[in-house]
Amino acid sequence: MFGFILQRLWQALIVVLAMSALVFCGVYAVGNPIDVLISPDATQDIRAAVIAQYGLDQPLWQQYFTFVGRILHGDFGRSFVYNMPVSELILTRLPATLELTLAAVLFASLVGIPIGMYAGYKPHSPISRAIMALSILGFSVPTFWFGLMLIMVFAVQCGCMPAGGRGETASLFGVDFSFLTGDGLSHMILPALNLSLFKFSLMIRLARAGTRELMLSDTVKFARAAGLSEFTVLSRHVLRLISIPLVTVFGLELGSTLAFAVVTETIFSWPGLGKLIIDSITSLDRPVMVAYLMFVALLFIVINFVVDLTYALLDPRLRKGRA
Amino acid sequence: MTDTVTTPATPLLEVTNLKTWFPSGRGEVKAVDGVSFSIAPGEVLGLVGESGSGKSITGFSIIGLIDEPGRIIEGSIKLEGRELVGLPSHELRAIRGKTISMVFQDPMMTLNPVLSIGTQIKLALEAHETISSAEARERAIKALAQVRISDPERKVDSFPHQFSGGMRQRVAIAIALLHRPKLIICDEPTTALDVSIQAEILAEMKELVSELGTALIWISHDLAIVSSIADRVAVMKSGNIVEIGPALGVLTKPQHDYTRALLDALPSRAKPGELLLRGSGIADAAPPPRKSATANLPPLGSPYLVIDDVVKRFEKPAGLFRNLAIKSGLSQPLNVVHAVAGVSLTVKRGEVLGLVGESGSGKSTLGRMAAGITVPTSGTIRLNGQPVMSIGRAPKKITTRIQTIFQDPFASLNGRMRIGDIIAEGPLAHRLVSRAEAAVYVGQWLAAVGLDPSFSNRFPHQFSGGQRQRIAIARALAMQPDVIVCDEPVASLDVSIQAQIINLLIRLRAELDLSLVFISHDLSVVRHLCDRVAIMYQGRIVEEGEAAAIYADPQHAYTQRLLAAVPVLPQAAE
Repeated sequence: MFGFILQRLWQALIVVLAMSALVFCGVYAVGNPIDVLISPDATQDIRAAVIAQYGLDQPLWQQYFTFVGRILHGDFGRSFVYNMPVSELILTRLPATLELTLAAVLFASLVGIPIGMYAGYKPHSPISRAIMALSILGFSVPTFWFGLMLIMVFAVQCGCMPAGGRGETASLFGVDFSFLTGDGLSHMILPALNLSLFKFSLMIRLARAGTRELMLSDTVKFARAAGLSEFTVLSRHVLRLISIPLVTVFGLELGSTLAFAVVTETIFSWPGLGKLIIDSITSLDRPVMVAYLMFVALLFIVINFVVDLTYALLDPRLRKGRA
Repeated sequence: MTDTVTTPATPLLEVTNLKTWFPSGRGEVKAVDGVSFSIAPGEVLGLVGESGSGKSITGFSIIGLIDEPGRIIEGSIKLEGRELVGLPSHELRAIRGKTISMVFQDPMMTLNPVLSIGTQIKLALEAHETISSAEARERAIKALAQVRISDPERKVDSFPHQFSGGMRQRVAIAIALLHRPKLIICDEPTTALDVSIQAEILAEMKELVSELGTALIWISHDLAIVSSIADRVAVMKSGNIVEIGPALGVLTKPQHDYTRALLDALPSRAKPGELLLRGSGIADAAPPPRKSATANLPPLGSPYLVIDDVVKRFEKPAGLFRNLAIKSGLSQPLNVVHAVAGVSLTVKRGEVLGLVGESGSGKSTLGRMAAGITVPTSGTIRLNGQPVMSIGRAPKKITTRIQTIFQDPFASLNGRMRIGDIIAEGPLAHRLVSRAEAAVYVGQWLAAVGLDPSFSNRFPHQFSGGQRQRIAIARALAMQPDVIVCDEPVASLDVSIQAQIINLLIRLRAELDLSLVFISHDLSVVRHLCDRVAIMYQGRIVEEGEAAAIYADPQHAYTQRLLAAVPVLPQAAE
């Protein structure tokens, strides 16, 4: 176990380092932030002074090492646009994305998996066929279109749901969350639903495929032969056995949704990380972009690590110290 | 045991005219087609038949677990006078595990790998009674002790993968026995196990059944096993019972032709080396084509394939951090498996050497090294004085004179290639034949193994298991080898097909002066086919010698145990 954690930390370090270099160079190639930062009619002197102030007059490698050196001191730099520390900026935006993503992924899993298992348990029933048709729709309908439709129907036509924003928030441990107030919750429903559509379909398909295969296995036959009820067979045997691929996908989807909820956040003007990164890219806010993408890399590493630990929890064959 | 076929007045189970059919594209597959029998309380009925005879489906029909779209279309199954056919599913469930339970063939597949043994027993207990966790644990420990699992207090928290195949099957039996059922259906429960484990389970099962007064339906393809446990035997063929009666009577004085054919196909009932009788068989094959030039071959009987002090270790390479951790004592060194631990063996030209051992003994690894598939860790393998594999960093097989036939003919043939291409692939690659001659060449070999040469355009899935094994043999022979390594070539085949393949090997060996290394766990097949036998145990050869001598007078304790474990058919008192 110790060796495993050590190995993972080592891998994480290399990935984050490679990511920082890659992003730093890539963003450098995108364009010169000075053009955005300084008004075109500024004098040459002011221009030179600002360039020197941000250290943009030095060669790329030197800029990079200054940047890495600062990070080692916990300083991710200041945003050109917001003129505040990047770490602070990301942390203020994180809770909004976090609650939205968790709501979406949990809905996809808690509703999608049981529905998928049902479709796998009774593959020929009309309900199962309807479920599968729905999941194909979920795969193929573009997120932005579905989001617009949700706004059209629920916000514009019925007027029963708000069309955008976070609504009223309440503070928990000094952080503002929407899900703590009724108004915030009603603001969350549509974007969360929109965000979960694809994951929901994915969970249904995975759960169905796993269940269908397992229903024909000797393990299930033996459990039935011992007189176990169908519910016990499904909940105690099948669910445990299909959970490993499900956890893998859950982890990956959680990561990618946290990092790239861009489309949904833009449509519903949800002030989360996705909107932040889009805004930073358009304004060439380099420190925010670099720090954000490194944060994303770290996020994936942490999630994958947790997923691996969960494997060991779910499957005793992967645990060390066999008898 | 009674000599007459009378059944007591109140049978435990009465099956009359049972028909279980599976609708398929064209009409129905009549898996079980009019089966009738009955079982008295405490009686052991052996249900014998080859694959596809409907014996397993009969078992599943009784317990009410037929896979869709199959269904019982006619007949009745009465348990203590109560009709089971047509019962609603919740009432059937109440009977399953409580009055009738079942043990399956492969203990590796039946237990759930992610639940502890204790949890699985608890679930089976909860299926029929309300029970506290502490009490369930208590009962689980008792159940494990009953099937002779040592240290049950600790083992109850283990997971299936920590158990051997035999122990897993014991757990499955323990679960089947939990609610003291009146009938247990055992579907080939020892087929996937080694002979010695099989003998133990058989003996224990017999004892438990007589102790508890449980009736047993023992489904098997193996007549010898059935004869050692059953009071009565029913022989099934194509969904029907063709013969039923007291075990001794059926097996010593068979009335039906099919039973007789089954018995005649057994190598244990024939003289070693002779062709086996076969009741339902394909006509004898055409003689094989002449082999190509066999110059520079030593005379028959001289040492030919020489295996010298061969070792095979399997180990996982450790990474940078693990090596550091191992060195600093934080982590355990990785397990090294000595699959073959120093084996020297000589196969004479024209001889059949049997390599016998249980699973994990290293016999297959040795065979693969002899055939140049696996690289030995150390030691040399020479064929007629020439090394079988090149030396260097990535050794390759450098001879075509040694070929292999694998166990599973379903896995060893590429399902996307035509039979003709499969057989021609090797000879073409090694320029044994030109592309123009290939079709004729393939046809000759197909004829030699008793298949119609016109089959060469077909795909493997269009053939039965026995036919596929013939194709695998033709593929090996088409390379014009002198030595063939046969890795359990008949283990997955029915007895009558097994007899055909054994006959084919006997004939081809004589006609082509082949040397065979015959790897098997089946001692009766080895006895029948082999001149010399080497017994392998834990990576070493513990005994080697003439087949007749070893079978008559085994010297090593392990060989003695192995031979004693083989179930024997009763012989007619003529």
